[in-house]
Amino acid sequence: MKVPGRLVAEALKSLFRRRATILYPYRELDKVHLPEGFRGRIEFDRSKCIGCQLCFRVCPAKAIEIVDDEKGKRPIFYIYRCIYCAQCAEVCPTKAISMSKIFENIALRKEDMVVR
Amino acid sequence: MIEKILATVFFPGAIFILAVSLFYEWVDRKLYARFQNRVGPHLAGPFGLFQPIADLIKLLSKEDIVPMATDRFLFTLTPILAPALILFACMFLPVAGPSGIISFEGDLIAVIALLSIYTITVYLAGEGSNNRFASVGAVRAAVQLLGYEIPLTLSLLSVALAAGSLSIRGIVEAQAERGLWFIAGIQAIGFAIFIIASQAEMERIPFDIPEAEQEIVAGWEVEYSGKRLALFRLSKDLELFLLSGLGAAVFLGGPIGPVIPGLEPMLYTIYFILKSIIVLAIFTLVRALFARLRIDQMVSFSWRYLMPPAMILIILTEVIM
Amino acid sequence: MNFEVPIGPQHPIHVEPLMLRLKVEGELIVDADVDVSYIHRGIEKALELRPYIQGLYLVERICGICNAAQSLCYCLNVEQLLGKEAPPRARYLRIVVEELSRIHSHLLWLGHYLHTLGFETLFMYFWRDRERVMDMLELITGNRVTTAYNTIGGVRRDLPPGAEQKLRRTLDYIEERVRYYEKVIDSEPTILARTQRVGILKPGDAVRMGVTGPHLRASGIKHDVRLDDPYSGHDEIPFNVITWDTCDCYARVKVRLRETSECVNMIRYALDHMPSGDYRLKIPPFFKAPPGESLSRVEAPRGELVHYSISDGGDRPYRYRVRTPTLANLLSVVEMLRSRGDYEVYIADVPAILGGIDPCICCSARILITDEAKKRRMITTLDDIIRFSRGRRVERR
Repeated sequence: MKVPGRLVAEALKSLFRRRATILYPYRELDKVHLPEGFRGRIEFDRSKCIGCQLCFRVCPAKAIEIVDDEKGKRPIFYIYRCIYCAQCAEVCPTKAISMSKIFENIALRKEDMVVR
Repeated sequence: MIEKILATVFFPGAIFILAVSLFYEWVDRKLYARFQNRVGPHLAGPFGLFQPIADLIKLLSKEDIVPMATDRFLFTLTPILAPALILFACMFLPVAGPSGIISFEGDLIAVIALLSIYTITVYLAGEGSNNRFASVGAVRAAVQLLGYEIPLTLSLLSVALAAGSLSIRGIVEAQAERGLWFIAGIQAIGFAIFIIASQAEMERIPFDIPEAEQEIVAGWEVEYSGKRLALFRLSKDLELFLLSGLGAAVFLGGPIGPVIPGLEPMLYTIYFILKSIIVLAIFTLVRALFARLRIDQMVSFSWRYLMPPAMILIILTEVIM
Repeated sequence: MNFEVPIGPQHPIHVEPLMLRLKVEGELIVDADVDVSYIHRGIEKALELRPYIQGLYLVERICGICNAAQSLCYCLNVEQLLGKEAPPRARYLRIVVEELSRIHSHLLWLGHYLHTLGFETLFMYFWRDRERVMDMLELITGNRVTTAYNTIGGVRRDLPPGAEQKLRRTLDYIEERVRYYEKVIDSEPTILARTQRVGILKPGDAVRMGVTGPHLRASGIKHDVRLDDPYSGHDEIPFNVITWDTCDCYARVKVRLRETSECVNMIRYALDHMPSGDYRLKIPPFFKAPPGESLSRVEAPRGELVHYSISDGGDRPYRYRVRTPTLANLLSVVEMLRSRGDYEVYIADVPAILGGIDPCICCSARILITDEAKKRRMITTLDDIIRFSRGRRVERR
């Protein structure tokens, strides 16, 4: 059966329904819900790191660099290259690497996009 | 004399019409967004009210590009001609009283003629820009004119027949005399035809064939940018105002309504705007409900489903009168 | 009027660079030519340079929308090389995520397709509802689009607590909405006018051109890798292969709409019968695959996806080849665009026809074009290809 404009009821209904859009960057920041286990910006705990370099070796985006500091070898994470696959967090034997819920990874300076 | 010039320039003339038509664009966009469960413009001004003006100013301030292969004369003339034609046609609308700024016996025909000339301007704009997409769009605009123009004219003429006058003023006054709008009665069919044909005139879904973005990029206006595009956009807004205003004047009784003595011009304006916003809302709703037709489907649709009712309506109106 | 209209490489209907040269007479298309090689990305070569575990995330980026299918295909391939098989729970979880991403892909396509037909409202509705599916993907896998869920030997995380109820609620919602949209699409004359008897591909032609996926099923041929070659426990899950025999764009819409509801049922079944136990094998991140070759097939949302790899016993593939569904389907577009006899194609039908195959050009641009006009033939052996690429092999830092 051809009924032109069958959507009219739905369209008129949505006039009075709450809009589906979240005005995210301007208002309603509290409406952004992130589930547990969301893969956001990498967080790194230096005290747990044993310098095994596994994270460096698995990183598909080559976002991790190994440097020496006073305690030995340690990784540096370049977030602007990170693809948020969390393989480094998964492979880390001491769980020194974890994924936070921070997803707004925008910075004006390059140094802000580096996790040390 | 001075009064006449002031009326033409300020209220209810050019400046007022431009402001209102930009407001109508906002209403259209906001309603369309709400039908789709979206927000719509919300950044410039309260509820995004100034978004159309912001868009216009932005476009006006852009670089003016004239591609090498275009016909320079047409490329310059048509963006000026298009809004000028529609603005002129808007002067016939009875905004602040039963008659427009210009009013004479037969001005309804003048408005229809101006709308047709506007479509021819569109055709010239497309052909003048010498682009393949623009040519296709221009030809589509011209073919589409064959489809909708006659039903549009007939639907307006049947009202003129019923009112016994070819002037908008006469039609408005006839409705005031009857105490009944023309939409109440058999002219409701005419109203439906008018809505559909206007949708084609304004190149809106389901008849946005000449500028179908997904098919021919932007159709006839593909080469226009900057202030030329701004003028075309402005003429679209003016057209929105013109057609919803025409619908309100002809079918919904125009600016006539209960008045408090002394406040007539203001109340007339308010009534007119409210009524034309109702027509505008119908336009927007139609836009939200359909997919775009193909050009051959559009023409055959209007000859199959718009023409016969329009003809029957004319005959019926003549018989009843 | 007789001229050539170029659709692409940049055009509003596709965000990806595809070149369609159309010879038109007025609005009528008489001939068409297609070129996809604007976005060669060198992914196959890059795969040869990476250990398997890194290749997994690269493969996901072949196609953003069917990333679950891509990574699943890669994992199946590598597991086959290793001679291992994912545990039952992993297989079911893989099905859940794969079907969820199929729902998300089909809803995306339906919305986009209606958008190309100029139906903005349904486009917005479809994408609004798709957002729910994206939330579910985010809940289960940790990301909205690039799920990074499959891994070699299983999946990377178990179903989080409470996810099942949310998932079921979303499925109910999606099912109800899809049913409603199907009713709308079936009764809306403007959509029917634009899709029925447009872009007809006869079953015989479809088979001859090697068309796959929903596009093939819309030509009335019952072919589905999930049915023909159950790769992840699909033989345990009952499902219908949706076909439609009008062979036109309407059939393509119909098949995808019905498939969406079918996916919902499959996920429900998988949730009901979810086996317990491990969800991944213990496979070290770095390993050497035994020499050999392996081929895996997955029914991606757009059609049959084929991964082929050769291992020389190293820690990275010797050669990796990906055949994406769009490449198989793209040839049929040319066939559908040619007007012949009383089958007429207009410029206005191009988005409808091209959109009908759900093109994903970025996936496909890795083909070699032979120059038939100049009668030039090039025979390139596998070793030649390897030598070409290995000659300039870049060592890792």
